[in-house]
Amino acid sequence: MSELNSALEHPTYNYKVVRQFAIMTVVWGIVGMLVGVLIAAQLAWPALNFDLPWLHFGRLRPLHTNAVIFAFGGSALFATSYYIVQRTCQTRLISDRLAAITFWGWQVVIVAAAITLPLGLTTSKEYAELEWPIDLLIAVVWVLYAIVFFGTIVKRKTSHIYVANWFFGAFIITVAVLHIINSMAVPVSAFKSYSVYAGTVDAMVQWWYGHNAVGFFLTAGFLGMMYYFVPKQAERPVYSYRLSIVHFWALVSVYIWAGPHHLHYTALPDWAQSLGMVMSLILLAPSWGGMINGIMTLSGAWHKLRTDPILRFLVVSLSFYGMSTFEGPMMSIKTVNALSHYTDWTIGHVHSGALGWVAMISIGSLYHLIPVLFGKERMYSVDLINVHFWMSTIGTVLYIASMWVNGIMQGLMWRAYNQDGTLTYSFVESVAASHPGYLVRLAGGFIFFCGMLIMAYNVYMTSRKNVALQPAPAAASAA
Amino acid sequence: MIQHTFGLMTRPANQWRTIAGLPENSFRTLVLYPCIMAILPAVAWYYGTSRVGWSVGDQDDTIKLTIDSARQLSILFYFAMVACVVVIGYFIHWMSDTYGADSSITKGIVIAGMASTPMFLSGVVGFHPLLWLDLLIGVAAVSWSVYLLYLGIPIIMKIPEERGFLFSSAVLGVALVILICLMVGSVILWDFGAAPAFTD
Repeated sequence: MSELNSALEHPTYNYKVVRQFAIMTVVWGIVGMLVGVLIAAQLAWPALNFDLPWLHFGRLRPLHTNAVIFAFGGSALFATSYYIVQRTCQTRLISDRLAAITFWGWQVVIVAAAITLPLGLTTSKEYAELEWPIDLLIAVVWVLYAIVFFGTIVKRKTSHIYVANWFFGAFIITVAVLHIINSMAVPVSAFKSYSVYAGTVDAMVQWWYGHNAVGFFLTAGFLGMMYYFVPKQAERPVYSYRLSIVHFWALVSVYIWAGPHHLHYTALPDWAQSLGMVMSLILLAPSWGGMINGIMTLSGAWHKLRTDPILRFLVVSLSFYGMSTFEGPMMSIKTVNALSHYTDWTIGHVHSGALGWVAMISIGSLYHLIPVLFGKERMYSVDLINVHFWMSTIGTVLYIASMWVNGIMQGLMWRAYNQDGTLTYSFVESVAASHPGYLVRLAGGFIFFCGMLIMAYNVYMTSRKNVALQPAPAAASAA
Repeated sequence: MIQHTFGLMTRPANQWRTIAGLPENSFRTLVLYPCIMAILPAVAWYYGTSRVGWSVGDQDDTIKLTIDSARQLSILFYFAMVACVVVIGYFIHWMSDTYGADSSITKGIVIAGMASTPMFLSGVVGFHPLLWLDLLIGVAAVSWSVYLLYLGIPIIMKIPEERGFLFSSAVLGVALVILICLMVGSVILWDFGAAPAFTD
């Protein structure tokens, strides 16, 4: 194995661990999205759980979220952060062995999740469902990750720490803090534990964790990705370096306060809910600071947009980022939340971030990264990247639009009442009315999933030796 | 004006070129186009929700709004539509500089209004509120409007197509943000006096 790959080894940088994580990003993306398509189909046709407990929606849904967030998104973050920190610090990772341990450790975590969740072993904390032995392993792997990342920064050959590394650094530190504090539990057996927090405090700690899993895992880390790959692919400098620093500090200091908006109109004290709402509204400013910086970096490169589908992935991902970070603060307004909460609007909002922003910027970055890692000039087929781009965009739009319609409709139906004070609709009528939306959502998710299969084929063909690249589109000379 | 409506539905590229070639005065009157077209969906939904009604699932009795409530909501609906077109038009003008186009607020509103033609026309489904049919027609209308937008911007703004592609995508982004404002605005208004009242 090592002889086969020796031709690919870079003299200075450790590309092996980056390559491993990059490949696993594609693999886990396909697995996670396949589970997503299955549970979307179950919502349209409930009989698809076949009366088997381990295929039940309640067990597969956490598997889907864990697989796409921590396996797909996590692998993408490991791959890009290890690559970027080496390139921008102009030095090799501090330890190849530790880096390899983080790779294999993370894969063990994912496999353990894929086994325990369908068996029904869960802490029941959303996005933190894994039981305590796996949580301990995550903590160890994460601390090693921090040592590798910050150790590499310490031995850098440049005096400057590039802004992408700031975002990755904040992401690594905060996720460590969040994970360790939220997962504090009293074990009663090998696979059962109870949270050390009780009642409302438990709920608040959970959503402090949950919202910052979005804020730091799914935002700060991916902004780090954006700050490296967008300027690189557009071949232009970052639009405003000052803006990148300002919005970094603003984002980091505001995001951590926004969690209570998940607990509007619950037992959480009213002032805490209002504080969460205000902080969520303020959050719009730093979010849009990042989006504007990315879009303005790209906007001088529009002559390339026609021939470069990777740039299209990046520009559309930033558009979805802008849209969903606008939608989020709006939904955190208590009056709006009273309607939107518990409806499909929330699911649509999450996926405009998850599919539109996180997945698309990862895909765009990987299309830039994979040829570099395999010593090729570009991906095997640029046309297939273009096909993937359109499938991702159409899939995301179908998904979001159907959930908007469903969400608003459910919210309106649940609160509609007649002149005499009786409810206009029963709950099951709102479920029946949601069926067409569920079909459209399934179609959108399926199209997005098929795009990932095309990506896998393209990556496989790029990785093979002695396979000639497909000719680049001719339009390059026409422009 | 009516020939533009049919033209945009049947041979859109030619029609955009005709609009781009209009003399200054006639072009300016097109600002009124969305104000007139928006009457169609408002009236249709007023009639549909108050006189025809709808039902959900297998339930037999139809649900209707009271006349007063339907009138109030239709008027709000009309102004919301016109306001959205004007705001999107303003943003088209605001962004045009970035994309190297010579523009005015009028131009922006005309593009936004004309591109919305299919959506205005599809508003007639309001006369017969039937969820799945309305959704199907609505999706088709939105798709056609987006197509019109991508087609029309380079023609009216007289810029190269690849730049028009970015411009149109940016407009679409703005439109999505405004759509969210509309959803949020409706929800907030619901709590402050504009909740629908159903008949018994």
